[in-house]
Amino acid sequence: MMRPSAISYQLSSRCRFLALLGMTTLFVTGSAVAQDKPVQDKAIVLRGGKLLTVTHGVIENGAIVMQDGKIAAIGPASSVNVPSGAQVIDVTGMTIYPGLIDSETQLGLTEISGEEMTNDLVEMSDEIMPHMHTAEAFHAESALIPVARMNGVTNAVVAPESGDTLPGQDSFIQLAGANATEMLLIRDNAMPLNFTGDQRRNKGGFGARKFPSTRMGLAAQLRQAFLDAQDYKMKWTDYERKKADAAQNKDKDKKSGALPPKRDLKLEALLPYLDGKKTIVLAAEGPSDLQTAVSLANEFKLKFVLNHISHSQPVLDYVASLKVPVIVGPIYEAPKEDERYDAVYSLPAQLYKRGVKIVFASYSAHNVRNLPDQAGFATAFGLPYEEALKAITINAAEVWGVADQLGSLDVGKTANVVVANGDPLDVKTDVKQVFIAGREVPMTNRQVRLRDEYSKK
Amino acid sequence: MGRDLCFELTLFAAFPTIPVLSTTSSGVTLMRLISLRTLVLHCVWLTTTLALASAAAFGQSDGAAHHDVVIKNAIVMTVTHGNVTNGSVYIRDGKIAAVGETVNAPASATVIDAAGKYLTPGIVDSHSHIALDDDVNEATSPITPHMMMKDAFDYQDKAIYRALAGGVTTSLLLHGSANMIGGQAVVIKHKYGAPRDEMLFPNAPRSIKFASGENPKRVYGSRDQLPSTRMGNFAVQRQALVEAQDYMREWDSYNEKVKRGDKDASPPKRDLKLEALADVLRGKIMVQIHIYRSDEMLTEIAMAKEFGYKIRAFHHALEAYKVADQLAENNIAIATFADWWGYKQEAWDAIPWNATMSMRKGVRVAIKSDSEDYTRRLNQEAAKAIRYGGATEDEALKMITLNPAWIVGVDDRVGSIDVGKDADLVIWDGYPLSSYGVPEKVLIDGDVYFDRSQPGLGTTHYKEGE
Repeated sequence: MMRPSAISYQLSSRCRFLALLGMTTLFVTGSAVAQDKPVQDKAIVLRGGKLLTVTHGVIENGAIVMQDGKIAAIGPASSVNVPSGAQVIDVTGMTIYPGLIDSETQLGLTEISGEEMTNDLVEMSDEIMPHMHTAEAFHAESALIPVARMNGVTNAVVAPESGDTLPGQDSFIQLAGANATEMLLIRDNAMPLNFTGDQRRNKGGFGARKFPSTRMGLAAQLRQAFLDAQDYKMKWTDYERKKADAAQNKDKDKKSGALPPKRDLKLEALLPYLDGKKTIVLAAEGPSDLQTAVSLANEFKLKFVLNHISHSQPVLDYVASLKVPVIVGPIYEAPKEDERYDAVYSLPAQLYKRGVKIVFASYSAHNVRNLPDQAGFATAFGLPYEEALKAITINAAEVWGVADQLGSLDVGKTANVVVANGDPLDVKTDVKQVFIAGREVPMTNRQVRLRDEYSKK
Repeated sequence: MGRDLCFELTLFAAFPTIPVLSTTSSGVTLMRLISLRTLVLHCVWLTTTLALASAAAFGQSDGAAHHDVVIKNAIVMTVTHGNVTNGSVYIRDGKIAAVGETVNAPASATVIDAAGKYLTPGIVDSHSHIALDDDVNEATSPITPHMMMKDAFDYQDKAIYRALAGGVTTSLLLHGSANMIGGQAVVIKHKYGAPRDEMLFPNAPRSIKFASGENPKRVYGSRDQLPSTRMGNFAVQRQALVEAQDYMREWDSYNEKVKRGDKDASPPKRDLKLEALADVLRGKIMVQIHIYRSDEMLTEIAMAKEFGYKIRAFHHALEAYKVADQLAENNIAIATFADWWGYKQEAWDAIPWNATMSMRKGVRVAIKSDSEDYTRRLNQEAAKAIRYGGATEDEALKMITLNPAWIVGVDDRVGSIDVGKDADLVIWDGYPLSSYGVPEKVLIDGDVYFDRSQPGLGTTHYKEGE
């Protein structure tokens, strides 16, 4: 009976487009695994649509060429050359934009929230768990991934839940691939440091029995962890130096006698962050927690981006002075009791006005598909449209260090491309086709199959 | 008041106005206008209004007089009879008195120019647990029909204001789903800042919350109590209804004796729990059932038939699309989510096409929030029905206005822009069925309760520090 594409049947060009897609997607079946070969086997040209490049404006009646998994050419339809043997798809009436990037999800770490055995969200045995790697729990065949990507989300950060101060390390994924290895574009790309008050699992005033039960306890524990890591690093440096010295003195037939320090996975995991080689995602909500968290990070010269800050409106100038990007919100976070109804809705606009680079995240697994709605809604409260789109594309790519490959429609970048029947940020826009690394993603998932099964009855 | 009367009033509104502007008091002016027209049209409703108006001297219980208001130049989305582009709505005595491209209103009426803006009925949220200060579940027994949510109603909860700012004007505050039979709901209007009793929807029908599935069995099963399975759930529910039947018989027999003049008849002991269930069996309380799986929907339908009561709506109802025909046959509405899924096992088969698929089979569909968050942007949730299944604009809008109003039992008074209905209206700065439309003003009973342009909270009846 009714299909999501019902609206589009009104336009003949759209019909043509869908029919073409129908033919070319027949051979691929649904699952996280799109194809066993990671390489696009023939060039595809999308011609006639409105291209939102993100980095160099809008091209009406444009064309984009996807070849060998990359964007090979882009421009006005009249000036783009079609490679020989390429499949040309008429996308007249459609809007084409880069795959969206969700800057915090739990994709692959959960299936059914209420069913414990399907959850690998956070290890709660201790607050300091930097040696947890989301990449090692990531479930590539999760039914949630095809649901998310059908709305144009092609890349995401997978983060552990925020129960621990240091819950473990993130992964940066692509939402299609032959297996987990292929989908995990970057393992351990960043690490959350949560200081929102929610990590006080032992709180209870005089009744608390286990350290840490307060913010000062959490801060002390965190500080000790980084001090231990510094100490650990020194021991290893010392050992390496002695070993090198011994090697130099080899001809004298003398051994250094130095034994390697015992490996400590927790402390080892902190080293790249202590060295400023990787990014800490520093989460706080209100001004006090924010400033405590920032001083802790500065104490150890950590490289960081901010996360949430949903209730830090009184110190936005301070936030701007830090000159770091902010993963903002979600803007659906409830305002505090004394705040105006739109205090959090308008936060992205307030940050943007102060020159802060913002990105959005769904902070979700099941609702990743709704990422663009949030960006759209933020524009209703003052965020310029282009910035809203950037916040789920190029800005996110820059924050995660992949702007050379993702986040815009530019030649040389990975061909993660979305074809939709309208404005990407509007809640009622329907995505018609998603390309990941130039390959058509099967536009089906468990929900589509249920819909079709029960539509027949 | 039924549809027919609304229609009559629409005709009536088209009559030329006879201005009687001898006084600056809009109340008195109004009364004269109404009496003239009442004579002409013999309109029962207006006579009633007149009587009430005279009695109350056009005053609300807070003493504030209603003002005539005209909203002009708006794109009026009526829900029941399409859109009026560049339309006007005339509000008299808190009710919608006229809708059209032009309306005849007294010159004294306050004019709100809504040029380029959209006007919709206030949103009705048919499943909410806000303003209860966490007293949502009396989870000490699986059968608690005598819990009255009104007793927990926290009228100062800011969640009422935040929903109001999102365009919600009426909510059904339900008991939670811990119990197979929970408490009785309270219907509120989001008049944030008004005294408690003014926020209660006047003469709203009674609703009771039933539940099923995972929640009751989890709550009691984890305590090694009955129920811990779905068969336990239904056994507990059936047992309670059987006891209610006995109780009802005892009272019926007593009342019969009294009627016959039996002076020796002594009344049975009153039992609040069974009294409430007896009212369910008598059809005096509407049954709202928290339910996920389609098999359980069929069991609930069978149980309702077994005991002779009607089910008003299935709430959540994420698998309604699997049994939509049976729901339509039994005139059972659904209050569902647009696209929530996967949060528990019984939500695993949820699909975002549920609303439209069920609607096309003839089921009355409402999109509800069940959430302090989503109630603030139900317009966006309704817009998803356009995307998932191609609902028309009217169909989508109906899912957050007229259909939930039917579920609550107040569709004759709110849920559309029709003459005679309460003037619960939202002026949106942009198209409401999108990511972008935001309420600028929200009116309830003709009074502005939220105005985005105001500083502070943007509320008009609330003062800081109160």
